[in-house]
Order: sequence, then C-alpha cells, then structure tokens
Amino acid sequence: MNFPLYLARRILSSIPLLLGVSILLYGVLHLAPGGPLDVYADNPSVSPEALKNLERELGLDQPVPVQYLRWLGALLRGEWGYSIRSGRPVGLDISERIGPTLILGGSAFTLALLVALPLGILSALRRYSALDYSFTFLSFLGISMPIFWLALMLQALFAVRLHLLPSAGLETIGDGSFLDRLRHLILPACILAVANIASWGRFVRSSMLDVLGLDYIRTARAKGLSERVVVYRHALRNALVPVITIIALDFAGILSGAVVTETIFAWPGMGRLFIEAMNGRDYPVLMALLMIGSLALIATNVLTDLVYSLVDPRIRYE
Amino acid sequence: MGLAMRLKPFAAPLLGLFILLGGMVSAQDRGGTLTVALGYDLDTLDPYASGFLTDVQSTFLEPLVYPDENAKFQPALAVEVPTLANKGIRITDNGKKMIVTYKLRPGVKWADGEPVTSADVKFTWEAIKDPKYLGPEKDGTEEIERIETPDPLTAVIYYKQIFSGFKSALFSYGILPKHVLEGKDLNKDPFWDKPFGAGPFRVTEFKRGQYVIVERNPNYWRKDAAGNQLPYIDRIIFKIIPNTNTTVTQLKSGEVNFAYNIPFTLAPSIDNVPGLKVINAKTLAFRHLTFNFKNEFLKDLNVRKAFAYGVDRDSINKALGGYLKPLNTFVVSSFDFASNAVPIYKYDPAKAKAALKEAGFNPGPDGIMVKDGKRLSLKFMTQAGRAEYELAQQVIIAQMKAVGVELIPDNKSGAALSDARRKGGYDVWYSGWITPADPIDSYVSFYTTKGFNNGSGYSNATVDSFLEKASQTLDPSLVTLYMARVQNQVLSDLATLPLFEAPQIIAVTEKLQNFKPNPTNQTNFRNTSDWWLKK
Repeated sequence: MNFPLYLARRILSSIPLLLGVSILLYGVLHLAPGGPLDVYADNPSVSPEALKNLERELGLDQPVPVQYLRWLGALLRGEWGYSIRSGRPVGLDISERIGPTLILGGSAFTLALLVALPLGILSALRRYSALDYSFTFLSFLGISMPIFWLALMLQALFAVRLHLLPSAGLETIGDGSFLDRLRHLILPACILAVANIASWGRFVRSSMLDVLGLDYIRTARAKGLSERVVVYRHALRNALVPVITIIALDFAGILSGAVVTETIFAWPGMGRLFIEAMNGRDYPVLMALLMIGSLALIATNVLTDLVYSLVDPRIRYE
Repeated sequence: MGLAMRLKPFAAPLLGLFILLGGMVSAQDRGGTLTVALGYDLDTLDPYASGFLTDVQSTFLEPLVYPDENAKFQPALAVEVPTLANKGIRITDNGKKMIVTYKLRPGVKWADGEPVTSADVKFTWEAIKDPKYLGPEKDGTEEIERIETPDPLTAVIYYKQIFSGFKSALFSYGILPKHVLEGKDLNKDPFWDKPFGAGPFRVTEFKRGQYVIVERNPNYWRKDAAGNQLPYIDRIIFKIIPNTNTTVTQLKSGEVNFAYNIPFTLAPSIDNVPGLKVINAKTLAFRHLTFNFKNEFLKDLNVRKAFAYGVDRDSINKALGGYLKPLNTFVVSSFDFASNAVPIYKYDPAKAKAALKEAGFNPGPDGIMVKDGKRLSLKFMTQAGRAEYELAQQVIIAQMKAVGVELIPDNKSGAALSDARRKGGYDVWYSGWITPADPIDSYVSFYTTKGFNNGSGYSNATVDSFLEKASQTLDPSLVTLYMARVQNQVLSDLATLPLFEAPQIIAVTEKLQNFKPNPTNQTNFRNTSDWWLKK
C-alpha cells in the first residue's frame, strides 16, 4: 500500500498539532513565576532602570500574546532568536549541545537494547529458573535505585579508587581523541542504560510470556517447527509490537537529554541546557528546546508506525 | 586592644617586607596549569551581562582599583586609590557633587600589545551606559555626568552626586579595550568568545557547558620584586562541573586541583586527601532570616521576637559541621562599622513563648500556638537544592515547633526564588548574601522602604534617612555613626534576624603558593598574577 501518502498525511496533520503545542508551552512558561531578568536582580549592583530598559529592549513589556506572535513570526522566517542568558543565537547554543546528547543518549539506548532484549527473552524462556529470578531481582534493583547514587558510587570506584576511568566530562581537555572520548562515555552511558535495561527487560519478558502461551505457538510446535523458529519467528515478532511502543517513547526522550546524568557527569548536553534555561527563564532557548522535543516525539511516532508494519505484516496503512 | 590598633600601621609594612624577603629567598617556579572546578554553567564571558559572579572574567580583565584579601581597595590600572586625602576625590557644588581623578599607570598594555589609556576608561563607561547595550550590570553609570581625559594617563570622572560606592561600581570588573570594541555591537560581538583585557591571562578557548581556558598574557604589566614578568602560571582551566558531589570526586581523583564554595556538608570528606590543602577562608557572606511584614502574624514584633529567642544558632551550626560564626547584626565583622550596640537576642525558648503569649497566642491542641482561631503556621522559603540551606531550614523548623510555631517548607530556585524575594512571596526566608566590599548601597536596596530588593515590606523612617546619609558621605567616621543608628533600628525592629557569618571552604593543591582567598563578591580570582605552582 501507499506508505508515502500515509506519511505525507501524518506530516501535514502534525502542523496544527505543533502549533497547538507551541501555544500551550508558551502560555505555561509565562505562567511560571519569575522572568528572564530575575537572575540579574540577584545582584545588588543591577539598577531597576537597567532592568526596565532591558525589558523594553527584549520586548518583555509586551502582552504575552503579542510576544508569542512575534516569536512565531520569527520562527516561520527560520529564526529561533537570541538566548537571553548567553547573548548568542539560540541555534548556535543548541547545536553545540545536540551532539554530546545524541552520543550519550544514542549509545545508552543501543547498549540498553542489546542487553534488555536477550535478557528479557531468556528470562521468559526459562521462566522460574535461577536466571529468571536473578534477572527479576536485579531489574527491580535497577528500577528502584536512585540514578545519582549509583553514579556517585561508580565514580568513586572507577575514578577515585581504581583510577581506571575519568569521573566526568566529555573529553580530557587538550586530548579529545576517539579513545579518550570513549573512556569518558563509559560511565554515563552505563548509568543511563541501567534503568532502561531494567524496565525494557521486564517488558520483553512479560510480553514474550503472553505470546508463548497463545494457541498458535502450540500449533507451531505441534506441526514440528524447531524451537528456534517458534521462538524467534513466531513468538518474538508478535511480542515485539507492544515493546516497540515503550521503547519508542524512550527514544523520543533522547533528544531532550538526561538531566541527572548530564549534571553528575558534567556532560554538556541538552538536559543541562534546559535546566539552566528554565532556572533563568530564558524563553527563546526554552521554546526551542521544547519544540525540538515535541517534534522528536511526533517524528518517533511516525517512525514507530513504520516499524510496526515491518514487524507485523498484518498492520497496514491505508 | 588600643595598643594593637596603634601598632597596626607599622606592622603591615613590616609584614610586607618579610613577605618580600621571603619571596627573594625562595624563587618562584614558573609555569604549570591550574585546573579549577567552576560550579555553574557559565552563560557569557561578558562580566556586565553575566548572571554569575566574575570568577573567570577576573583573570583577563584588569580594573582600576580592586578589593584585596582584606576587602581593602588596592590600585591596579590606577596608580593609587583616589581618596579625599590624596586629592583623588574632590567635593564640589557645596558638597553636592564630586570629581574623581584616576592617574593611570604608564606603560600598561592590552594583551594584544596596544597601550591602555584614559580613552579606554571613558569608552568603558560610554559602552556600558549605552541603552542599546543589554548587559544589566549598569550600576554606577547613571551617577556619572561626564568623563574628561586631559591626557592619555588621566581620567577625570565628574559625578552628579556624592557616590560613596564608586569603587565597587562600573570600573571594578575591568576596563574594556576601545580599539577593539569601538563601533561594535557589544551584545553580540564575537569578541566575547575569546575576550581579552589587560589582566594577567587571556581567554584562548571557551567551550560552552565544558570549560574555559585562559593562558598567560605576555604583555601583563605586573612584575615581581626580582623584576620577573607576571603571571607565574601558564594556564588556568576552568572546568564547568555543576554538581558539587562530582567536584569532590574530581578533587579526590586529581582531575581538578582547585575548588571553592565546597558545601560544608561535603567538606569533611576531603579533609585527608593527599596533596590537597583545605582552606577555611573568611568571607563577607552571611546567613539570615527575613520576615515578611505583609503577613498578619509577622507584622507583630512579638512574633518576630519569638524567632529571635527561639532559634538556637549553636545547634544549627553543629548540624552544619561547625564552620559558621554566630552574627548579631547584618553587617559582617570585616567592616569597621559593624556595631556592637545592637539588641542581642540570646537563645531562650521561655522568652520566645512569653513573646507569643504577649502577642495574644495560646497553645492549641497540637502544640501549635493559636490566636482568634488561627494557627501560627507560616511558609518558610529557602533556596531549593542547596543542602546547607535546606539542612539549616530543617533545624529551624524543629526549633520553632518547640516554641509553638509551625513552619512549612516552601523552597524555590532560580527565577522563581528571585521573583519571590523581590515581591515577598514568602513568610519567613532563610538565605545567604555576599556583601560587596562597598556595602552601603546593598543595605539601601534591602532595608529602605523603596529598596529594590526589599520584598518584605519593612519600612522605617530612621533607617531610610540614615542609610541615605551613609550612602552619600565619604567620611568613614560618619558612616560608622550613621550605620550604628541603622543597625540598632533594624535589629530593634527585627526586620531581619542575622544568624551567621559564613566562611568559604576552598580546596587547593598543596603546590599552589601565594594564593590569598578574596572575601568579597569580586571572587578569589581577582588577582591571580602572583600565584605559582611548586614543581
């Protein structure tokens, strides 16, 4: 069938959605107490006149709907505006952060997928075995353990005690080789993957168990198919559909960055930029980050639909 | 005491001589890299636009005068600190206006080799004052009527009024190079990616969210006693590490070798790290409670007195590791005009309860005081995410509960905190503040009726008039006189309850020599030129 047509329809229908989201976000951000100039007001040597002038220059004295329309107008011309905090174009501020975030989020995602899938499947196949019990125990530990605590413990072990890995940062200043960056990536990527491994693994396990108990699996076995074919061709493909939904939602979150992990590991990603921009009410940066997040979510949803149809031939888009 | 006071003027130069001799005997090593943990995500290298203190900026911009390790002003680009005595300050128009003359040091160059002249001083004022320039740090620009530059080494600044805070304002961050910035849009100019000034270092790389590298400025003006060009250190790396736990980890693993503002709660964990020296440095910072006069209970002096008697400084200090020093007035002890003649409120729960009784409260069924059917329950704000503040808050909540006052934590951070502070979005507020070296203007902003930072609604005619007088005199003895009145009034009214003077905990490598912590808000990096690293 006509997937391109379906895709075009989805993309067109996402435009009013994005517009609605932007109005909502703009409104909510301006409802939050304080404004971009409050950070400066902490300083006793900043005069009220200077703040008034700044407010006028930045257009913050205008009514919120007017500010929104100006922002939207600039956006349609392809301009994200200037960050109030850094005085630089928003696009530049974000472009520097997006790389590190994709590297960290992407590698953690891949790692989690590579571990969670086989573990979940094995756990389901050998239900109530020692492996299943220990995986269940470890995954509950992984889900319930505070990430920042685990991160600090691993830093103390690998950086302070063993001197094997750097404790934080993107690279050694002045080095920045592939190997050096890889060494810096190991701890934060593992930490970020832990929670996902635990939750995805649980999901794969229960989804597999559901499918393995169905009639057509019994039929497949009865007609003499090998266990391998039964598990991977028949059971897994069907078990994956609900799993993909969960994983796709987490995938969309990669672009928003991981606030806790990025902060503890001094990783210059989007999550930290968001927190800084939020604390300073840097509206242009916040709106750009939130819109990118929304866009990623919508794009992931379309992608997910595509993957559904690949995994399950019964799913068709008309 | 009197003898010590008289000895002081002699002791200081003598001490200086010893230091000088000491310096000559053991030659300083040149070179090396200092790696500093910067605890915040630096927004911009423009000191007039940054929302943070000027740690990094102080290494590459040189001011006219600056507060030293004792919060006393020293000349940098200027030959001497202007005073009435040396005729650097002249009062005109029957005491209504003043003229400040800076004589600049001859032969000083910008990092790019061009000479520093009085035209740069004038340019800095014009550039910052310009309404098109969006940096909010414009303090001290409006007070200036005009600047004249009769010769390249003389800047004459005509003030519209007597402005006692002139040293802390405008020029204290550093002079900007006119030959580079004239005619540019200071808000967006790429200069700020790799800025330089006349300071000991210049910025060579700024990676947002990661680090700033500053390297030796080969044209720096200062020389040591032996005639060697300063600075000694090759390079300072400021690593941006937003989490204090990570900072401590990096100190232990040796990935950074200089960190400051280490939370008291984490300080004990670095006490015995080999190669690391922990410094407990005096600062101009203090901690206090602020009461909102718009609250129906708190506008009664007796309720505020219940706090003054009900809060036990000693046990809070104990909970925080014992680093703090009790404080009875809002002026920290480093200032000569800190008054001893203020009302002292010693911890006494019985007196706290008596004050509440006086205010018409009686104990309710759950132990919390009640008046006219209303429970004495108040919103208690402090900065969210700051372990030290939140811990102190917990202790105060327990102490006030014991005298029948319920405090409900309502913590905020970032813009929400600033907003609440200025508009009074709290009942009781626990906070810290670093006083500038010239503090009168900041007291004006906190305690006068129309003060910009006065969100508590406190208003007292005596305080207003004496703070205005204090801000408009240059005579230290008059400042002491006026500020004694102000302190006595504010403490009698309990507009604020001062609690502690706070030191800063700094951890540095044992190799670092000549480092002198700076107690002011001009940061520890105000004069880095004579620091050196033992090889």
